[in-house]
Amino acid sequence: MKLKRFQQRRRPASAQHQLFLAIAGAVFLATLLASACAWAQQAVAPPPSDREVIAELLKRVQLLETRVKDLEAERAQGAGPAKPIKAAPIAETPARTAPQGENEMAMPDTGPNLRIRGFTDVTLHGSNQKGSTTSFSLGQMNLFITSDVSEKFKFLSEIVFEAGDDNAIGVDVERLLLQYSHNDYFNLAIGRYHTAIGYYNTAYHHSTWFQTAVGRPFLFQFEDNGGILPIHNVGASASGRIPSGALGLHYVAEVGNGRTSRAPLREAVQNVVDENNHKAVNLALFARPGVLPGLQTGLSVYRDVLAPDNSPRIGQTILAAHAVYVRPSFEWLNEALVIRHAPRGQTHVFHTPGFYTQISRRFGSYRPYFRYQYVNAAADEPIFSDVGLRHGPSVGLRFDASEAVALKLQYDHTNLRQRPGIDALTLQFAFTF
Amino acid sequence: MNRAFAVLLWITAGFCLALRVGGSQPAAAAPQDPAELERSLAVIVNQSNPVENLSLAELRTIFRADRNHWPDGRRVTIALREPGKLERATVLREIYQMTERDFSRYFLHATFTGEALSTPKTLATAGGVRKFVFNVPGAIGCVRAGEVDETVKVIRLDGRLPGEKGYRLQLERP
Repeated sequence: MKLKRFQQRRRPASAQHQLFLAIAGAVFLATLLASACAWAQQAVAPPPSDREVIAELLKRVQLLETRVKDLEAERAQGAGPAKPIKAAPIAETPARTAPQGENEMAMPDTGPNLRIRGFTDVTLHGSNQKGSTTSFSLGQMNLFITSDVSEKFKFLSEIVFEAGDDNAIGVDVERLLLQYSHNDYFNLAIGRYHTAIGYYNTAYHHSTWFQTAVGRPFLFQFEDNGGILPIHNVGASASGRIPSGALGLHYVAEVGNGRTSRAPLREAVQNVVDENNHKAVNLALFARPGVLPGLQTGLSVYRDVLAPDNSPRIGQTILAAHAVYVRPSFEWLNEALVIRHAPRGQTHVFHTPGFYTQISRRFGSYRPYFRYQYVNAAADEPIFSDVGLRHGPSVGLRFDASEAVALKLQYDHTNLRQRPGIDALTLQFAFTF
Repeated sequence: MNRAFAVLLWITAGFCLALRVGGSQPAAAAPQDPAELERSLAVIVNQSNPVENLSLAELRTIFRADRNHWPDGRRVTIALREPGKLERATVLREIYQMTERDFSRYFLHATFTGEALSTPKTLATAGGVRKFVFNVPGAIGCVRAGEVDETVKVIRLDGRLPGEKGYRLQLERP
């Protein structure tokens, strides 16, 4: 009885259990099957039907047709498709793509290409200086030439046609450099270069179009225009970055002939023969912090020995410092330097200080600017006897009529020692071609 | 028994879920949003270039010709699309932070001072940029991320690839 009751009670329980097992088993199998199917789909796709194969092939044909059209369009525009890695050899020379705005003279063979860019200006100038006349003047016509001799070597020169006070036009090779670029930390240039004294001299060469104002600050005037610095030098120049992280330190080390002793009848730049065996040395250090693009601060020390006629040799040291901030729409230049002349055998040392500051802001095509400059040479200075004291402001407006043509109007007032001040007005058309 | 079967079922479900998650991992590594990828501008270099990643500041120094060489000594040559193209406008806006006119003047001046060893090359098509970068070992250029192929190498920018969240070079919306 107990067994029967037990059997009666057990039977329904067994049936429920079997039903539950059956359902659970089905779910489990279904789950396993689903997992297996998912696994199989990821690993091996099931064989497609013929219709699917045809659809897939049609899709690929469409893609290929589109690709062929793209390639034909690219070829029509003069640029071929990217070749597969194994199909095309890696060329060592860059593709022959002309840089913007430069004239390129390609040789018929695979030799270096010569690129030429021109700069010049025409100026109308008048002042109240005694003996001067209001005149139209041709500015320097500069043919700036570069050529990639190889991946590491590059040629750079400035050939300048310039009229002198006698109205005769002469030709000067203002820069002529063979540059070797090993890496960012070591570059070597040999030839005639602009000495890395301060900022302006290496930032603005023989082009008034690049410069905001109509001319260079007096401190950085060219030698043949009465400038007091060794603007040009013939020798060798090493330059590069100094590993310094965000500080962006750079160095320049130069050795060259230096300039002559300001003898009026001599060419100031010693292109072929140095007047003595002593070589001029210049060391410059400047920083371009990455956090503020456009900012540059630096120092330089220049050392040479001058050998004037009928006079003892003079030790020359030039210390220069600059802080500039140059952005496309804003410019603030500040430079100061002192030139020390120490005649040998004398105790008296001459110091000639000078500085300039220039600020400008662009408003559309217009850029008003202001400059103040100062230089003070002693009256008995052995080299700069014709310089004296000169200082004063310049104010002007630059109008960029096009990307390549600038019109500038500038007023200058210059105070001189024991002489009346000079007022001057200059209108200049500067352009590049 | 019931409990054992339930545990088995739970494990199976967990296993299936794990498989599903595992299967989605490659998709997570790929760019999340194809539209985002299409809007991104990829920085490409030659396959032989050892550089994998650059910060935006480093990219700016390279494109501005403040740095003219790669770590392997190759000279940097920049390849850009022609004026008027969206890719070029993005490069000028995000990398150079200049207008077209300022850009032209900047490189003319950099060439004039001798600081820029080469001027950027202008190419008419994305295929042209790719081909240039493929052929010139020191070349660097920018193309739409969707136009990159296996002939060139994509550089990470601040550790991010085009299409990834926080990637800086985004094409201007028309």
